[in-house]
Amino acid sequence: MRPSFLNIPGTLTLLAVAAAWEASVQSGAVTFEYLPAPSGIIIALVDLVSSGELAANTAHTMRSVLIGWILSIAIGSGLGLLFGLSAFARRYFLASLEVLRPLPAIAFLPVALLLFSFSLTTELIIIVYASVWPMFVNTMGGITNVSSRLHDVSLTLQLSRRRALTKVLIPAAAPAIMVGCRLCMGTALVMAIIAEMIGNPHGLGYAVVSALQAMRPERMFAYVIFVGVLAISLNACLILASRQLLSGHTREVSHHA
Amino acid sequence: MMEEGLADGQNIFECDDVSLELFPHGQRRLIIDRLSLTIRAGEFLTIVGSSGTGKTTLLRLLGGLVQATSGSIRFRGATVNSAPEGVVVVFQDYSNALLQWRSVARNVALGIEGKLDNAEIAKRVNEALQMVELERNADDYPWQLSGGMQQRVQLARALALKPDVMLMDEPFGALDAMTKATLQDEVLQVHARTGTSFVFITHDIEEAVYLGDRVVVLSGPPGRIHKIVPISLPRPRDQIKTRQTPGFLHLRVEIHAAVLNAEGH
Repeated sequence: MRPSFLNIPGTLTLLAVAAAWEASVQSGAVTFEYLPAPSGIIIALVDLVSSGELAANTAHTMRSVLIGWILSIAIGSGLGLLFGLSAFARRYFLASLEVLRPLPAIAFLPVALLLFSFSLTTELIIIVYASVWPMFVNTMGGITNVSSRLHDVSLTLQLSRRRALTKVLIPAAAPAIMVGCRLCMGTALVMAIIAEMIGNPHGLGYAVVSALQAMRPERMFAYVIFVGVLAISLNACLILASRQLLSGHTREVSHHA
Repeated sequence: MMEEGLADGQNIFECDDVSLELFPHGQRRLIIDRLSLTIRAGEFLTIVGSSGTGKTTLLRLLGGLVQATSGSIRFRGATVNSAPEGVVVVFQDYSNALLQWRSVARNVALGIEGKLDNAEIAKRVNEALQMVELERNADDYPWQLSGGMQQRVQLARALALKPDVMLMDEPFGALDAMTKATLQDEVLQVHARTGTSFVFITHDIEEAVYLGDRVVVLSGPPGRIHKIVPISLPRPRDQIKTRQTPGFLHLRVEIHAAVLNAEGH
């Protein structure tokens, strides 16, 4: 069966949940002081769109996410290639990197704040620190997991080291590298929102906090839902892009970060 | 390649007292023990032996994929210390050995890309695909093909290099009997047409007799040469007629006995 563009049963479920939510708030069955009804959230969202506030905040967040994503891909794939290709690097330096990896990026936020105050730099440091790992791990795993048979093939066909790398190794690792790019994007968005809540008062993350502090829950919900939709859309775009780029590959392999 | 090369019958490979030790888990293991063997230009040499007699290791040594611990291997007089030009290995596990993201034609071109001009590459790819009867599958991807066809792609990729020697490691071990017979005849045709030397590992004794000019029986571990049996059956060989001749049956029994005898060592 071909996957259709719209998942009809899934959408129906979603609408049913929204309807139940609306009904329970309107009827007074649920009485949280600050739980808005879906209709209120939609009105708030329309308001945010028409005032241009949503677009401005999205532009800020997306700029940080994209810069952070590109930096993470550059650093993560560079390090991943180095560690994937060099047993020496793995033996001597991988342990040091593995010590850094489990440290939660958010724990560095106070450090970054102290050094760079409330700024885009602080936001980017947090984004890159967190999202470089999935890129690194997937690139390194992709390279080290290339079948030893393909190394034999490169040797017996007299491929130079450079050709073996560009024609055999990197293409063989490409599915894992693409998974890294996707995980990296997801992490970058999450970290951008968190960094904006605490470290750089701009963008969607700060907008959520502002709405909360202004006690405007319908705006807060509107932003939260919008961020969710944004994350799903970005992931879908990257899935489509990697299908295009890897049209010859039959399977996708993931080495989770 | 052959034009600057050796006349049929001259030694193309010379292995002298070759030993290989490996150290898995820190323990010394002798895989090949002082093995000496010469391979003649244009010859079809088949190698049989039970598991663990070092068949694959011997092939990897000849292909320059591993280096001997002691002794010397010479290809056309020059010591082999990396994969020598003019020698190419065809592996048993075709699905790992092919680049699954490249079309058949682009797989076949892999070894000559960047070394020849585009017109020559296209010509070589085409010729190689014709030799293995895959010219109609040039644009398919390996994963769209049957096992036998995938192994043909690997064969064509090796042929595109116009090698002096093809080293084949149980290439048909994973294929069904019918496909295997067809591919055996294709390999024999390539051998007759190009004069390429073949070193062909198999654990199918009938296959070794059907294809070979000489059959090497290995014993081990550690791998040693147990016996070398010349096969004087006339060429071209035929799947039905050759296999019925008393000579074929006699050789099959003789080699089978040698393999069993080697196991007793």
